[in-house]
Amino acid sequence: MDLHRRTLFKILGLTAAGSALPGCERDVHNLVPYLLPDEDIVPGVANWYATTCQGCEAGCGMMVRVMEGRAKKIEGNPRHPVNEGKLCARGQAALQHLYNPDRLQVPLRREGRRGEGRFRPIPWEEGIAEWVKQLRMETGAAAMIARPMTGTLTSLFATVLDALSGRLLLYESTGEQTLRTAHLRSFGTPVLPHYDLAHADYLLSFGTPFLEHWLSPVSFGVAYGKFRQDRLMVRGRFIQVEPRLSLTAANADRWIPVRPGTEGLLALGIGHVLVKEGLTRLSSSQLADFQPSFSSVSLEHISTTTEVSQETITQLAHEVSSATAPLFMGGGPAAAQTNGTETLTLINALNVLMGVIDRRGGVQWREPRHSPLDIAHPDLTNEHELMDLAQEFEQGSRTLLHLYSANPRFTLPPSLKFERVFERAKFIVSFSPFLDESTMMADLILPDHDPLESWGDRIQMDTLPIPAWSLSQPVVRPLYDTRPIGDVWLEAAHRLGGSLSKRLPWTSFHDMLQSKWERMIGDREDSSPTFESRWKEALRQGGRWSMETHPRQISVTAPSKEYEPPEFLGNSTEYPFYCYPYPSLSLHDGRGANLPWLQELPNPLTTGMWGSWIEINPATAQALGIHAGDLVRVTSDYGTIEAHAIFFPGLHPELLAIPIGQGHQAYGRYAKGRGINPLTLLGPTFDRHSGTLASGATRVRIERVKGQSQLVMLDPKNHPISHHIQETGGL
Amino acid sequence: MSRDPQTPQGYSKTADSPYKWEMVVDLDRCTGCEACVIACHAENNIRISGEEEAAQGRAINWIRIERYWEGEYPDVKVKFLPVLCQHCDEAPCEPVCPVYASYHTPDGLNAQVYNRCIGVRYCGNNCPYVARQFNWFDPHWDEPLAEQLNPDVSVRSGGVMEKCTFCVQRIRTGKENAAKEGRRVKDGEITPACVQSCPTSALIFGDRNDPKSRVARLKKSERGFHLLEHLGTHPSVTYLRRLAE
Repeated sequence: MDLHRRTLFKILGLTAAGSALPGCERDVHNLVPYLLPDEDIVPGVANWYATTCQGCEAGCGMMVRVMEGRAKKIEGNPRHPVNEGKLCARGQAALQHLYNPDRLQVPLRREGRRGEGRFRPIPWEEGIAEWVKQLRMETGAAAMIARPMTGTLTSLFATVLDALSGRLLLYESTGEQTLRTAHLRSFGTPVLPHYDLAHADYLLSFGTPFLEHWLSPVSFGVAYGKFRQDRLMVRGRFIQVEPRLSLTAANADRWIPVRPGTEGLLALGIGHVLVKEGLTRLSSSQLADFQPSFSSVSLEHISTTTEVSQETITQLAHEVSSATAPLFMGGGPAAAQTNGTETLTLINALNVLMGVIDRRGGVQWREPRHSPLDIAHPDLTNEHELMDLAQEFEQGSRTLLHLYSANPRFTLPPSLKFERVFERAKFIVSFSPFLDESTMMADLILPDHDPLESWGDRIQMDTLPIPAWSLSQPVVRPLYDTRPIGDVWLEAAHRLGGSLSKRLPWTSFHDMLQSKWERMIGDREDSSPTFESRWKEALRQGGRWSMETHPRQISVTAPSKEYEPPEFLGNSTEYPFYCYPYPSLSLHDGRGANLPWLQELPNPLTTGMWGSWIEINPATAQALGIHAGDLVRVTSDYGTIEAHAIFFPGLHPELLAIPIGQGHQAYGRYAKGRGINPLTLLGPTFDRHSGTLASGATRVRIERVKGQSQLVMLDPKNHPISHHIQETGGL
Repeated sequence: MSRDPQTPQGYSKTADSPYKWEMVVDLDRCTGCEACVIACHAENNIRISGEEEAAQGRAINWIRIERYWEGEYPDVKVKFLPVLCQHCDEAPCEPVCPVYASYHTPDGLNAQVYNRCIGVRYCGNNCPYVARQFNWFDPHWDEPLAEQLNPDVSVRSGGVMEKCTFCVQRIRTGKENAAKEGRRVKDGEITPACVQSCPTSALIFGDRNDPKSRVARLKKSERGFHLLEHLGTHPSVTYLRRLAE
């Protein structure tokens, strides 16, 4: 929809005026369903718009405060079931995405060699014509790599690419494909359940960074607060098992370090004790299926391999059995090994053994009684499939690459040789809003609007207590001569003509979205007479969440009888260390690196900002003659990085941990040329069942090198509070 | 607590205000996620310092998460401590200001009048919580980042000391709305940006004079303590101890 069409807005504006939401708990807010035209803006008065965060896959509901046509502040939408009014640092920083000085403002065409970074502005007509020409020439050879998404935009992409025999690959390095594969094996569905942390009283988590970036961190944050302090007599107890003490582990009552890759073995040990001592909550017939997987193991062997004492294993099993509502979760580093799926299926089995499936405080699958039938919810892609795609480009069966808010040149390790795609592609079109490493290689850039300037929707079935259909709407007028990607794809479909044009009869993405929603909110459970009023109500609320659900049918399967140990690339004499590059709290997989707020946000555990570092256990460092702050080099068979050494007391002595997110060679002034990308170190090794990159499975060595290393830190060690804590021995 | 109604600055600390704004920080809920830090930056027009200034210790944060490591591998623990201006009743920053830029509002806020500040930094030196931060330079936002700036909050120029205000602009709006309707501010009606964003609800804000407010009730928790209590600053921020084994 053309947002400059004044007449339309006049009509909408009139209906919007005075539409403050009845019963909204925040009555100071003037919550309006549509972008106001200039003449309806009152200077000094804030309007709030509900929309949906696109910072990660969680899809939190947002409220954007807009004054005089400018977005000022983002808060969580108090009525949204995902985040209940709360929002993480990255979600709030979406404002700096909108007002980023390095946003692409016009369509661009490559000049000079591919990747040289020289582009010239072109009119939209020329850009779309060129793209459509390429689509016609390269029929059947198109591929699109986009960020994970659901909803109407996805179905548009899928429809167009289907008609062209193209491939749509939704990729994110933190896409939790391993977890989906494990759930498919354990429960017969790849849909991720709702982990009801708020009502559990004991959480045993194997590596899940649920307070950082795992699945739905704000939702987990809300639940965590309730888990700890919302109940009168119950304070949930929380144990975290992982080789590195993450921010999540820092909040645990007890952190249990294990040897990398052995988390599943520890789960096996705990299950063994539960089964042996008759502490499970299964009937004997149910238990019969599970018994073989847990009976023939030696606790002694498990203890030696995991480095967790037999007493601890037994104690954990006893704690689990005495809990009313125990809960087990697995992910993060536990999933980042060649046996990731195996590990997670063993953790799933603990949930089954303790009878928490579909229980309050346990693991729940809910699906809506009325499902939104034709809204696409495609599977995510893993690294292995991306390597297949690279093969297709090499063979010439794919030639035309599309990119949309996906940056595989940064988020994939170079050892996967995905670079071939960018070398061999005949033509590369990017719709990304920034010149990231991948878009730098584009021949044509047709930049999308910012999410805060766009229409959109999101269908969430994963990890929620109730499924949610969230809406995104423009909260400000477009800043630049960009176009909504949905409009551009519809335009291309019409130019391609034929049946495709007939299947996509809409002239704008907004119309397409509305017509999809018309079918979804068309009739039931609503007293509003017209679609228009229901639509406006949905916009005001931020979407629709169906309260009417029933449990999804699942079929429980016991884990395999043979435990699969992890495998590592590189021999332990030459490469004595494990290495775990972890997604940064603020920069995530690197996408946050172009936002100055996030660059300047000190890492809560190291206080580092504006740069990279390598975490090492202090005792290990001492043995190697490495001092805190030294410049160190980490080498694997696949690459080398150099960065600032940080002593990290919560680290397995044989592990090095490095945050992902920095090391950009493009992506704007705040990101470019800053720090290192630890993915350089990783070799092509995958989880055996899911095909996900095993990012913790490449061995490395570390050495001190000559040279200066600088890292900005916000360390409070000279503050009076710090002195006082040292003197008195703790808070 | 008895105290001299007239302080050296010549204002009354027992001035006639029905409100006394306070905060409670529940360390058993705080996860260290720093959502509050960005919320504060966005709400209060806090400058982006950049790597160089940050390296000189000049990055500005009105709220920061301090972290304290305890023990050695494998028995290691980390504790997070959100630190912001404690809005002390006996604020060490106030009596040292030669120009009354640092003063106490009738609601009990420790406020900073930017256009009085002459930048001597005595207040910053005297604050044991390192809550006050100095603008060594004029702030700068690469265009169009400044479009985001909150029109309700002044941008501080170089040479001026700044600090957490408990989002005084939100307090003012809340009080005005209540006054228009001829009632007191309701509990939970005013939330500073950090409190609003906190996923785990570790931060709680309200009126201590309202005995039914969450702040007034939680303040009495047996887990409660104040930072550097022995200094006698009487902070308005009460921390609730994290429960441990």
